[in-house]
Amino acid sequence: MGAFNAELLKLKRSLSWPVVVLLPVSLVLMGAATQLAQGGQPDDGWHTVWVQSVGFYGLFPLATGIAIIGSLVWRCEHRGSNWNALMSGPTPTLHIVVAKGLVIAGLTAIMQVVLLISVILMGKLGFGLPGMLPGQYVGITVLLALMALPIAFLQSALSMLIRSFAAPIAVALVASGISVVALNVVGDAALASPYALVTRTALLGTGTFSDPGSVTAGDLIPILAAAVFLVLALVVASTVILERRDTRV
Amino acid sequence: MNAPAVINEFAKMRHLKVGVFGLAMVVAVVALALFALVSNPDVDLGDSSAWNALLAGMSLGIPLVSPLLLAVLASRQTDMEHQGNGWLLQATSGLTPGGLCRAKFMALGLVVAVLTVVQSLLVLLAGKVLAGILPPAPLGHWAGFTLCMLAVNLVVLAMHILISAKVENQLVALGIGVLGTLLAVFSQGLPPVAAHLTPWGYYSLALAADYDVSEYVTLPLAYPSIAALTLVAALLFTVFTSRFDRQEA
Repeated sequence: MGAFNAELLKLKRSLSWPVVVLLPVSLVLMGAATQLAQGGQPDDGWHTVWVQSVGFYGLFPLATGIAIIGSLVWRCEHRGSNWNALMSGPTPTLHIVVAKGLVIAGLTAIMQVVLLISVILMGKLGFGLPGMLPGQYVGITVLLALMALPIAFLQSALSMLIRSFAAPIAVALVASGISVVALNVVGDAALASPYALVTRTALLGTGTFSDPGSVTAGDLIPILAAAVFLVLALVVASTVILERRDTRV
Repeated sequence: MNAPAVINEFAKMRHLKVGVFGLAMVVAVVALALFALVSNPDVDLGDSSAWNALLAGMSLGIPLVSPLLLAVLASRQTDMEHQGNGWLLQATSGLTPGGLCRAKFMALGLVVAVLTVVQSLLVLLAGKVLAGILPPAPLGHWAGFTLCMLAVNLVVLAMHILISAKVENQLVALGIGVLGTLLAVFSQGLPPVAAHLTPWGYYSLALAADYDVSEYVTLPLAYPSIAALTLVAALLFTVFTSRFDRQEA
């Protein structure tokens, strides 16, 4: 808990909010902009508003957003003599790895909440849609926040190993692209990639790309199983790698 | 132009994995162009509209991958000066911060120019050899498209070098890169006036072909708009870099 609190303190004035707030808001705005420019309501109501923003969001913006947060959370450790302080401090490596990953996942979860609120506001105020966003999409938002855990731990590991701020973000973009193709080609076998996992979750119920359009237990079980396995594997691997790192002169 | 400074920038590219990021950019665009060709059953290889499918694929692929990867290239090449206080070192050796930014632009600009031309030529070659499109390629339109995309790429690159140099926290540069990607992609669905407002919008003004009802059609390129963007960007880059020259290192 101490390591986690320390991470929260480090987030102060770290400029994480522009990513957490601006990325989902601008995505919903841009997704709906074409429709707004043409006037009139979307053909399929709430479903269209959701697909236009979240369908695209899952392809690569979400992964790059998490990558930026990952780089941001590790940025301070690579500056000055902080790396040596991290290496020589008494905090167990496992605690550092878990705290960093959870902070990234926590910020990502806030990002999903902002996304959900933006979609609802766009539907209500932008298009004046009747009723409310179907409950299924609220469930998918919660699931998306949880399924972002593996990618949070993976990007955390990449930003831990790579001192450059930008490189892990490029990795996220390229890996997301490859994962989208893999999802279309090999189906659920692609869930071995954390990037494919968030894309698959974001596409749930949209009927686009590899998604059949309806959400069944058969869709959810592989996603959940992959997430649990990936988180465990990534935490263990990151801890082992960080344990073998040393101070830098 | 300060030739030794530009040569020095190439020397600094060692270990920056410029080649890897460049390769990712080329492979992604070529793959998306070929995907546009093979994924559509309406495309007839005996008809000249097959070339339009490739152009349409590239017109989507370049705005999708270029903004963020250009931001990464610019950020990595510029961030090193913040890390090692290269600004002060170079200023004391007679190269002002503005001059350093101009040298970075010359070096990276050359890399981006080669990448843009190579990806365009590879798609052309793939269309002829791999896909076996029978009618002759619309070389004039193809060259114009490549030139327009190159101009927009260079403008975005110049802007990112300035942002990465001005704001030490590379989160800002990369965040703008992600938002730029969204603007570049979604500008295609917006009225042309909206596309003129940001540098990324000009990717949609360089749209060479698009799918219309049942076939791919050639679209006119907005040469005057892109020429105006290039001029304004060149002017602003000169003004901003000369402002950097007057700052204390």
